[in-house]
Amino acid sequence: MQLLIASNILLWLLLIAVAFTVMALVRQIGVLHSRIAPAGALMVDKGVTVNDPAPQVTAADRHGRPVNIGYRAERSQLLFFLAPGCPVCKSLLPAVKSIAKDNSGELDVIYVSDGDFTEQQALIEANGLQQATYVVGPEIGMTYQIGKLPYAVLIDQAGTLRAKGLVNSREHLDSLFETVHLGSATLQHYLHGEHKHDHAHDHAHPHSAQH
Amino acid sequence: MLDPVLVIAASTALAALLASAASHKLRDWRAFNGIVRAYQVLPDALVPAATTSLALAELGLALALLLPAWHGLAALGVVLLMALYASAIGLNLWRGRRDIDCGCSGPGAAQPLRPVLLLRNLVIALLAGLAAVPMAERALGALDIFVVIAAGAVALLIHVAVDGLLANQPRLAKLTGR
Repeated sequence: MQLLIASNILLWLLLIAVAFTVMALVRQIGVLHSRIAPAGALMVDKGVTVNDPAPQVTAADRHGRPVNIGYRAERSQLLFFLAPGCPVCKSLLPAVKSIAKDNSGELDVIYVSDGDFTEQQALIEANGLQQATYVVGPEIGMTYQIGKLPYAVLIDQAGTLRAKGLVNSREHLDSLFETVHLGSATLQHYLHGEHKHDHAHDHAHPHSAQH
Repeated sequence: MLDPVLVIAASTALAALLASAASHKLRDWRAFNGIVRAYQVLPDALVPAATTSLALAELGLALALLLPAWHGLAALGVVLLMALYASAIGLNLWRGRRDIDCGCSGPGAAQPLRPVLLLRNLVIALLAGLAAVPMAERALGALDIFVVIAAGAVALLIHVAVDGLLANQPRLAKLTGR
């Protein structure tokens, strides 16, 4: 009897330990899920090839001023394709604005949209984009063959298309700049080991796009 | 008539579960209001009153479960509460609004509505049913108290683990693309 009681107590204690271990494991899996490397900006279509000269196109911004895209210039260009009816685009606008602010010395951010002008106006006012270069029209999107939104394209000073992709989060946007450093067309290519080394000069060892 | 250890262990586990649920709701009352509003079962004006009374009801039931005189009634109250939650979930599943947050496992563990959550509520209701069964008269020794505490702890830990697995499931599904 004494032995049975002792063994029962021992079993209970061990069961508590096992249950605790299972709970801890589940928690760790949860943390892993929230920390899993964000998928880089996806290149879903063929369109223009990365590391080739970007197609040159001139379009009028919403004030009628011409905006040159893809030409050799003093500053790089980030084209951010959006639409008033796209909630993800709106959720990304603060991130795009902060990128524009952080890199105001070397990067021009150009917002490209299409569609109803009053809706554009509402979006501009709601997000404080009055001072931004904002193009409304289909020309640029058609030239760059943008099929999905929100989409971003990064063009360097020489007019070379450096990175592009469907962007759904700040991490995706950052990954565009990251891929420029890593010298790959997209982060996916980099992660799958298809990267070239010609642009990897300032990164002795690769790091992920997680910030 | 069941052995008192079984009934008391079930009540203790339920009490701990309800207390943790109430603390989730009270700690992040604003978020909980938002979740209840998203269920669209109550007019917006009634939501703050409803969330407060739900959290207080959970606390009250948790306390009553620990009192020998009240625990039978409290266990029935838990069954009713689980039925209420299940009907709110079921109603939104029936409406096809699967993308709202269940609010089942507290803040930070958002998960969409799925039929399996009804099963979870059923299991808790069954546990409450066990706690509502009248218990046989028997003197309780130190070993009985130990078993009650140990079983309660194991039940609570398993509850947390199952909740975690349920919350992970949609994220895993997103990863594997199924």
